[in-house]
Amino acid sequence: MQGNTRKRVATALAALTVAGALTITLAPQAHWTTPATAFAARPAPPRIPVYYWHMWSAQWQPVMEHVVAEFNASQTKYEVIPVQVPYGQADTKFLLSAAGGDPPDVMAQWTQAIGSWGQAGVLQPLETKMSPAERRSFSHDTYPVFHDNGWYKGHLYGLPLAVDVYACYYRPDQFRQAGLDPDRFPDTLEALTDVGSRLNQVDSDGRYARLGFLPQGLTRYAPAFGGGFYDPRTHQALLDTPENKRALDYLTQTGQKLGMERVRRFSAGLKSENNGADWPFIDGSFTVTLDGEWRVMQLAQFAPHMEYRVAPLPPPRGGKPLASFASIDYLTIPVGAQHPEGAWEFIKFWSGLDDPERAAAFNASFGWLPSSPRMTNSPAYQAYLRRYPQYQTFVRLAASSNLVTTPPVPYQQFLMDRIQSKDELAERGAVTPNEALAQLERETERERRRRRELGYDQ
Amino acid sequence: MKKGLVGYAFISPWILGFLMFTAYPFLSSIVLSFTRYNIVTPPVWVGGANYRTLAHGDPLFWASLGVTVKFAMMAVPLSVAAGVGLALLLNLDIRGISLYRTIFFIPSILPSVATSVVFLWLLNPEIGLVNRLLRAVGIAGPEWLQSPQWALPSLVLMSLWGVGGSMVIYLAGLKDIPVYLYEAALIDGATPWQRLRNVTLPMLSPVIFFNVIMGVIGVFQYFTEAFIMTQGGPEDSTHFYALYLFERAWHYLDMGYASAMGWVLFLIIISITGLLFWSQRRWVHYEG
Repeated sequence: MQGNTRKRVATALAALTVAGALTITLAPQAHWTTPATAFAARPAPPRIPVYYWHMWSAQWQPVMEHVVAEFNASQTKYEVIPVQVPYGQADTKFLLSAAGGDPPDVMAQWTQAIGSWGQAGVLQPLETKMSPAERRSFSHDTYPVFHDNGWYKGHLYGLPLAVDVYACYYRPDQFRQAGLDPDRFPDTLEALTDVGSRLNQVDSDGRYARLGFLPQGLTRYAPAFGGGFYDPRTHQALLDTPENKRALDYLTQTGQKLGMERVRRFSAGLKSENNGADWPFIDGSFTVTLDGEWRVMQLAQFAPHMEYRVAPLPPPRGGKPLASFASIDYLTIPVGAQHPEGAWEFIKFWSGLDDPERAAAFNASFGWLPSSPRMTNSPAYQAYLRRYPQYQTFVRLAASSNLVTTPPVPYQQFLMDRIQSKDELAERGAVTPNEALAQLERETERERRRRRELGYDQ
Repeated sequence: MKKGLVGYAFISPWILGFLMFTAYPFLSSIVLSFTRYNIVTPPVWVGGANYRTLAHGDPLFWASLGVTVKFAMMAVPLSVAAGVGLALLLNLDIRGISLYRTIFFIPSILPSVATSVVFLWLLNPEIGLVNRLLRAVGIAGPEWLQSPQWALPSLVLMSLWGVGGSMVIYLAGLKDIPVYLYEAALIDGATPWQRLRNVTLPMLSPVIFFNVIMGVIGVFQYFTEAFIMTQGGPEDSTHFYALYLFERAWHYLDMGYASAMGWVLFLIIISITGLLFWSQRRWVHYEG
């Protein structure tokens, strides 16, 4: 009897185990994204949820959530539900969600791979969602960097939301200490390099205590030399050019003069650049440094009393003024999104496609560049510029036609990884700039050929 | 029969998990390695094109394989030597030996991500503890992870941090060696070195063999530390095979190619394991 009972219990438990396992593995999937509690759907009237994934954290998250709250308050039809995904895993998570048929409705992307993902069929074209008036406004009223990017083979797969450009931040106090006039910032790259060398400081052991100016990174400096990485006529990457070689020569020679090992050891002792409060410029480790516009707000927050100025990177002799590399944040709608119409409404609202003046307040609250002259001249943005006058330099850059971006080729990440790798080889002195660019061209051509043979880019 | 069914029912969650999350992807990847597949759209059959490119058209593949082989040749023997050495020391009959064993074992259970972050600071050439200690005794430490000559050896040295796991297995092996063998050796007048060479190591050889195999499998899949600490740099000196495979799959959306790389890696590991099994006749001693 007891034995029978034990058997029955064991059988029942086994059946429960099987049932549980089957339920977990085979049950139809619910939407696994958890709405942030602050954005739990409002009870009445019922709205269509629009799931929005983003990577903003720290001080940016509440600013972004304010935009969402504004959109939701303006709506009777849609309710945007923001979900923060960690930056390091965002791409993988996003691609898996798209592959699994359960992507978000809209996602903000920083990865410079819009062309790759568009080609791969991950993203929906956005230009088809624009009305003729919106299309005209987008093409003619926005700055070139906004309407020229996010395209791949005639389709707009990501709507540019924010653009990061680079300019020189410098410390007038250190200029004065060195007997230099901070009101006369050098007007050529050669002069800036010379000024930088006069601002270097070394300690008793011969190690750098401060670097006046440390130029590094081919992508950031090539634009000023008239270089870049894309030929719009052939729609192909263009790498081994005289302009890029001049830029790489300059970076390599400047690094060698400073002593690369000493520079590396100096850089290793610095705090993390990623955290605004720890930016080495604040503690005086650099007198002049090339960095992005987001630092303006970080300086206001973390070093409100520090005197600093911003100037465009001066071009080398024969180079291009107001030049910069530009990284872009996009809003995208994945293929398989359940509510693309709601996603598009949100994109229009945030980007200012239908009302640039309203969106100007959003850009100002983020410390982002304006996307159009109309946005620049709006009261909200002008108030922002009065509050942060150093930001004017970046606004001038935003309107510049000398901005270089990630080439819209379907092997974008491969290309950018290789550019970084060859740039590092050259700047460390492992190969000559000539050889680095030749290697880069060869490896890129090999990848192009492979993709063609496999039929990837038809 | 019924008893068997109940047993299978109890382990069914594991069986389902294994079939869905191990066996199915494993077998799928064979097929995927003969396709072009970007994860999102259906795979397209391309025959052996991925394997042909690996063999002839991808210097990064060979470079990453070279880095991994170099790492394996340094890390595996060193970890065996360190593991056996530590186990011998921790096999001594002294006071507080359990505490020492615990201290040496604990690092091996720490998550590798946390370990990597700590070592990033330890090996910082300017403000890291290692170079500060070296400076204190008048030695200018190297650039460690920022030098193409030192980055790989740095990761090899760091891999010794986790030697506690294999040390425990060696310790168990040492405990298993019959005492009478040592007694006989002592009567024959064997020195400590002779006892180690002719008794301890031969009797420990099955355990060493096991750890060598596990070590080889582990180093060929080395990823986390390189991903966090060096991202393959400087100058591609730590661009490990698994790191390149990950880039191909997730950065370049080249899952077919990455699957082919996975299968090449599988064949390499199987071949080396086979070689080790073949060689064990010469150096592994099974008692009885």
